[in-house]
Amino acid sequence: MVNLEELKKEASQILKEGKVKYIIGFQRGSNGLLPVPAFIKNPKDVEKLVWDPTCVYNLTLFLQDEKRKKTKEKEPDERPVGIVVKGCDSRAINVLLQEEFIKRDDVYVLGVSCENTGVLDEKKLAKKLKGKKAKKVEFGANDDFVITTEDGNIKIAAQEVLAERCLECKAHFPVIYDVLIGEKTKRNVENPFKSLEKIESLPPEERWKFWKEQIEKCIRCYACRSVCPMCYCDECVADTINFVVTPDTSAEEKAQKIKWLEKSPVSSENFVYHFVRAIHLAGRCIDCGECERVCPLDIPVRFLNKKLEKEAKELFDYDVGFDPDKPSLVSSFKDDDPEDFIR
Amino acid sequence: MEKVLSKKAFPQWVKKLESYTMYLPRKDGDFWNYEVIKNPEIIDLDYLNTVLSPKKIIFPQREVLLEFSTSNEEELKINEVLPEEAQSVIFGVRPCDAKALTLTDKVFGGDFKDPYYWKRRNSTALVGLACNTPPSPNCFCLSVDGSPHSKEGLDILITDLGDKYHAESFTKKGDDLLNLAKALFKNPTAKEKKDLEKIQAESKKKIQRQIKDTKKIPPKLKDMFDSPFWDEESLSCIRCGICTYLCPTCHCFDINDEVTSSSPIKGERVRTWDNCQFPDFTMHSSGHNPRPDKAARLRQRILHKFQYFVELYKNYQCTGCGRCISKCPVGIDIIEVLEKARDYGS
Amino acid sequence: MDHNTYIPKLAKIIEIKEEVGGARPIKTFRTQFLSTNNFSFHSGQCAMLSVFGKGESIISISSSPLLKDYLQFSILKMGRVTSSLHEMQVGDIIGIRGPYGNSFPVEDWKGKNIIFIGGGIGLAPIWSVLNTALSIKKDYGDLMLIYGARTSKDLVFQEELEELRKRMPVHLSIDVEEPDWKEFVGFVPQNVTDKKPSPKNAIAITCGPPIMIKFVIKALEGLGFKDEQIYTTVENKMKCGIGKCGRCNIGVHYVCKDGPVYSWAEFKKLPQEY
Repeated sequence: MVNLEELKKEASQILKEGKVKYIIGFQRGSNGLLPVPAFIKNPKDVEKLVWDPTCVYNLTLFLQDEKRKKTKEKEPDERPVGIVVKGCDSRAINVLLQEEFIKRDDVYVLGVSCENTGVLDEKKLAKKLKGKKAKKVEFGANDDFVITTEDGNIKIAAQEVLAERCLECKAHFPVIYDVLIGEKTKRNVENPFKSLEKIESLPPEERWKFWKEQIEKCIRCYACRSVCPMCYCDECVADTINFVVTPDTSAEEKAQKIKWLEKSPVSSENFVYHFVRAIHLAGRCIDCGECERVCPLDIPVRFLNKKLEKEAKELFDYDVGFDPDKPSLVSSFKDDDPEDFIR
Repeated sequence: MEKVLSKKAFPQWVKKLESYTMYLPRKDGDFWNYEVIKNPEIIDLDYLNTVLSPKKIIFPQREVLLEFSTSNEEELKINEVLPEEAQSVIFGVRPCDAKALTLTDKVFGGDFKDPYYWKRRNSTALVGLACNTPPSPNCFCLSVDGSPHSKEGLDILITDLGDKYHAESFTKKGDDLLNLAKALFKNPTAKEKKDLEKIQAESKKKIQRQIKDTKKIPPKLKDMFDSPFWDEESLSCIRCGICTYLCPTCHCFDINDEVTSSSPIKGERVRTWDNCQFPDFTMHSSGHNPRPDKAARLRQRILHKFQYFVELYKNYQCTGCGRCISKCPVGIDIIEVLEKARDYGS
Repeated sequence: MDHNTYIPKLAKIIEIKEEVGGARPIKTFRTQFLSTNNFSFHSGQCAMLSVFGKGESIISISSSPLLKDYLQFSILKMGRVTSSLHEMQVGDIIGIRGPYGNSFPVEDWKGKNIIFIGGGIGLAPIWSVLNTALSIKKDYGDLMLIYGARTSKDLVFQEELEELRKRMPVHLSIDVEEPDWKEFVGFVPQNVTDKKPSPKNAIAITCGPPIMIKFVIKALEGLGFKDEQIYTTVENKMKCGIGKCGRCNIGVHYVCKDGPVYSWAEFKKLPQEY
């Protein structure tokens, strides 16, 4: 069982020793069930840290801010950042290491185990509680969650309210860490791509119709991109001018910048955005599911990434984010790579 | 004009308005959004607030301003494209969203009246639905000069009285809608009027969230431009556009040319929503950016709503709908930010 | 319904002059509307220029409002729209809407001495007011121009400047030494301090890169100029030109509508976000 006190103690110690410059973790927010990210510098503030099934965020996202800040500083503090990660989040760290976006010394990984279960899908829980308000959610002893509501505690089997991605999780405890808090649990996931079955079974025209309807809802708030730890490019095709402009960038270069897509939220442009993003995440997405969770219009963005994860697995036997020393999928090839899909 | 309509008769009233283009919230998966009504039989006014406010109908996310083309003689022609003046009704507008339109009215009015906005605004009637119970756990209209029964911006306000609706019209547009189905409406009885008052009083008590001392916030913010507060508060911001795109009062836009043929040139000049939380929003062509980081952009959002707008138009540019709180991916809570700002350094 | 300000009027380019070459080229364009007379405007105002298919760009009008034959714009090649403008030929058609923004309070300045201080392309916004003052010179006191650029090749309006010397003092500067350069070497603010214009009954107008403006104001303050005597013009990214699209604001001020002209007394009260 994850002992929160153990996490706090470790956090406090590394802050006191000056081992890390600050710690990114979870704390209770002012509102709602979900926590908010915590950025802790003072050892006293480690008391704020929480770890429970509501800790859905993938905090590795904030390593982007840290890197940007560091490149602007003249004499940056070279100490690592402490970061609380779940199994899925830890795989993101591996990908970031693999792509040399960060160095191993940039992070001090405080790994927490998901206790054989995972994190919560808030909407599933709300449906289960039928209007009752959950105040607190904790890991139970028997692969269940203990929910505190206005009228007492309820136990719900985790499987019933887990986030979809947790049902297909390949790592319920961190695969890379400096400290591990909790158990190295074992859980068998029969089919890590089960959620795709329904869509895959549809005939192409119906699949197209499904995606067209979904993608047309998109308002291009770019929350899926913004929340993604892998969407760290300074220059993104989705932005018309937000590329790396310096005073020395020539007018020609700016003028000739290709406009890949218009700002208009119409089906053609939305498709370009979502497909470009999906392709750019092939072999990189660790299925933290954050893109789908944050979408205000409930577009099932995760399926796009999941499908590509499946292709990577089936065609190249590639699992994302388990080995930082392995070359990344799209930057390497093997002599025996399949070619039959090239037509 | 004050009337009562039985719930059963509601679809009949809607049917009588067939000459109008009608919008109503429709459930799509787990949320509600406005759609054009095709079948008045399956109308359900028992809904939570929509993800996108009726702003998206009056001020659509994409709008063509003009078309341009060159003919064979290489003569350039431009053609103004104004929206069609279709008479429309939006049903079930929450009072906060109606009030929000009175705020965008201020922006699109003034010295330069925006013809695109006003064409739609003037031809659209807003039929509101009072919030007997708050449609979101993050509603806080009472803290920003609003109310769950506010008539501000509405042509008609409907209040659910159990088996019937109380409908009060405030404008000629509203009277016209009621008059189209005169036979369906009755005058309210003394008891019904009393019930209405009771419901209105109770509904205010059900609102769960509030900003304390909102009035103290604008003067306080005025002195906080250079405060490190914004760095602290924006640490968890992920730079997405949810808070502003879902906001019923945010009005910022971009204008771009979309080309369908480059030779001979043919295309449209298009206005789309834009977003102060995106880095390229203020970036000069030279690469210089007056709002270079997320702290500056969060500050702009808060100051615009609770200081600049208040100075310019004597209103908060926020109607307490709670969308930005409910949908923020990392739980940034505008109520908390404002209260912290109010108490900052004291 | 009111006039639709988003619809530009078509105008023909009647003259193009290459002011500056190299990596940061500047060209001056003169335009005439196809079907209407040129609009009337005031010195300091801007217009939104369209290259159809590329977009719009806000540009200050550099001709004097007293000249009715054409509108003049001096444009630094910077991005998508300005690059397209630089490729255009005499006879090509662009769109123009406006005029937008406020203007220099030239009426209030009658009888005063005016010092014009520009850097690089920053001479364009003050060129209009300079020429207006020059054409009714009897209404004003002494006029003076202090103008500089990175190199002698980056100075705009070179021919006009030579003409101007016959009518008012012109003090040029370049940032670094060049052979044959006989005037001041150094930054514009240094030249201001060097030429010591008197604050007595005077107004100073400055426009250029933000950093230059900042130091010119310091130099002027050092010479005894009061905040109310210093004027500047500000630029920001703009899309609508009418204070609605929401991106050019500095505090409560929309630069496109409430600016671009500010006295330093007004401007220093705004949040320093530009």
